Amino acid sequence: MHVRAPLVLISAAAWMALVIEPGGAAFLAHCSPEMLARAALSLSLKRAVAPERIASLCSGWGLMLAAMMAPLVVAPVRHLCDRSVPRRRTRAIVLFGSGYVAVWMAAGVMLLALAIAARLIVYESYAMVSVGTLIALIWQFSPVKQRCLNRCHARTELAAFGLAADLDALRFGLTLGVWCVGSCWALMLLPLLVSGGHVAAMAAVALWLLAERLDRPMRPRWHVRGLGKAARLVIAQMQDFFSPRRFARGEGC
Amino acid sequence: MQYTRKNVWELGNDWADPLLWYARGVAAMSTRALAEPTSWRFYGAIHGIDQPLWQQLGYLSSTDQMPSDAVIRRFWSQCQHGSWYFLPWHRGFVLAFEANVRDAVVKLGGPADWALPYWNYFKPNQFQLPRAFASPDWPDGQGNNPLFVQQRYGPNSDGNVFVPVNMVNLNAMNDPDFTGVASGGSPGFGGVDTGFEHGGQVHGGIETQPHDWVHGLVGGGDPQSQLPGLMSDPDTAGLDPIFWLHHANIDRLWAVWRQNPSTDVDPTDLNWIKGPANIGERIFSMPMPDGTSWDYTPGDMVNLASLGYQYDDVSPAVPVTQPGDRLLRLGASAAAARSVKGASAVASGKRVELVGASREPVRIKNGEAGTSVQLDAGMRRKVSASLTAAPETAAPDRVFLNLENVRGLADSTAFHVYVGLPQGAAPADHPERLAGSIALFGVRKASRVDGEHAGQGLTFVLDITNIVDSLHLANALDTDSLDVRIVPLKPVPEAAQISIGRVSIFRQGR
Repeated sequence: MHVRAPLVLISAAAWMALVIEPGGAAFLAHCSPEMLARAALSLSLKRAVAPERIASLCSGWGLMLAAMMAPLVVAPVRHLCDRSVPRRRTRAIVLFGSGYVAVWMAAGVMLLALAIAARLIVYESYAMVSVGTLIALIWQFSPVKQRCLNRCHARTELAAFGLAADLDALRFGLTLGVWCVGSCWALMLLPLLVSGGHVAAMAAVALWLLAERLDRPMRPRWHVRGLGKAARLVIAQMQDFFSPRRFARGEGC
Repeated sequence: MQYTRKNVWELGNDWADPLLWYARGVAAMSTRALAEPTSWRFYGAIHGIDQPLWQQLGYLSSTDQMPSDAVIRRFWSQCQHGSWYFLPWHRGFVLAFEANVRDAVVKLGGPADWALPYWNYFKPNQFQLPRAFASPDWPDGQGNNPLFVQQRYGPNSDGNVFVPVNMVNLNAMNDPDFTGVASGGSPGFGGVDTGFEHGGQVHGGIETQPHDWVHGLVGGGDPQSQLPGLMSDPDTAGLDPIFWLHHANIDRLWAVWRQNPSTDVDPTDLNWIKGPANIGERIFSMPMPDGTSWDYTPGDMVNLASLGYQYDDVSPAVPVTQPGDRLLRLGASAAAARSVKGASAVASGKRVELVGASREPVRIKNGEAGTSVQLDAGMRRKVSASLTAAPETAAPDRVFLNLENVRGLADSTAFHVYVGLPQGAAPADHPERLAGSIALFGVRKASRVDGEHAGQGLTFVLDITNIVDSLHLANALDTDSLDVRIVPLKPVPEAAQISIGRVSIFRQGR
């Protein structure tokens, strides 16, 4: 069963929607200083949390998740498929996905609330982004972040039959979701805090998240965690691409 | 210069010159400080190091000065296990170690062509630990023989060190594929496709048997303190002088496997040839006697002769399995079986699918443990159909038993695994139902939640194709479940906390 291609396609389609569709990233505008300022001036948060806005926020957040998180779950979904009997694979993926998305949607409520609250408290966008970046950096380098990241790599045993298999698939999604939120929340907050260029900010965060997921688990400690492996991977592949040996072998043709 | 590695049991006497010089070389390296890259303990740490365990075993003290962080990051904890880099990384490791010993030997006035012997425990009457390693004394009766270590307990943990030949096998030598899969099917002769893997989850064929098993049997564990023997744990194995003779033999088996160039070939994938650096990961690097570092790739390791080495014996280690034999058993005519070329009958396809799994985890403590693998009716029929149609298709499924997420604290644990034993039958009476033998080399590390495995443990894959074939031929495969019996080599203490997350059966075919 192919796993990588469908998930990459889902991610690509979500990115397309965010870039092309005018309203794709519009949900982030609900957090804009102007919008929230108007809401605050009317002494009512009702406008900011009106049902249509909630729906927009949810769909927008879902799109953001699909774009950014689908590539991160390739390995766990492959594990799920490999360890399930073929007739149960689709069902297992649906249950896993439900658990994973449920956790992220719940996290989204909290992150969006945090972003809205930050807007109301700190009107200046640059100050808010600066504080958000500082928080993200501290979290990034902390042992707790590494612990969460390590757990994202765990591939545990799964029941194969009956209700136990369904529950295990759901539990796998929920558990991975919790550790994934723990690992990514601070970085995911940043695109919600900028006043413009949301999609560009999301793309930068998505690349960062993907790059750090490529690194293998390590002992949790305070540690400057960068693009490490991803950068070396790109350099190695570029060296290979431009290697004289490659052209000598005729691969450049 | 061409160096020849010779059989340790055929050097002429117990303390033949190559062993005497090896002991002197080990002694010289042992006098050097830990932080010196050419010291004995530094080389042990290249394979792996667990500082608390080293302290408990007396190999690290508070007065030891550690190397710099940069040196540690470059050299230490490099060993490749559960990876397709297992064989090439260890070949380079042994070569570099040997160069360092030779340098010490030459400085002491020894021969410039000194080479490491190998221990071929499979050869008749050579299963016992070579005597030079078993005595605490030098040949002149003086103590402190550096080839002897106290923490080498043997299969019965009584200090009698040998390899029980009925517990080791060379089945992997008949696997035509170097690279296997981590999805439940064959792990291949050489292991599964990974990045830099300092203890991967799925061990390759030659790594599982005989490599892991010999480590566990030779090292054993201290029955009093429950501490592992040096050889039993990857973080201490390189400290035991017999480690290097064991790995010279594993390296020799790779050379033997390569003797069949029509089927047994090394990977041609660039990620294997160029090593983990090709995907942005750590390089393989060894300190050399002249103070330089030697960086190498798996591609550099494929031609032993060009590296200046040869073995005195690369004759086939086991009778070569004829691809048509299985088809003959499954009912093909002799003519049809003879017409099968190459390895098509054993490597019939790459699709891997789960056939069944146990419902509960298995805890192993004290004596035997067992579980029942529930089979999916549709998948079981698919396997049966493949076997029934084998005479026509010449592509029967292969079937594999997986012990998934094996966790625990004692690497010296070893057990036999039986499939489909009759109710109440004594396992020893049914060798035909022995799926394989497992030694948990690396399990302690793999079970750490914040370790490189994220606590998922190890997964072992055993080829049970022959057992399933015989069940099929006896019309006994039409069943809802298959019993699996785990028989520990010796009682497993509860403190070892050994568990198997799931026991499963996979088919590999078209």
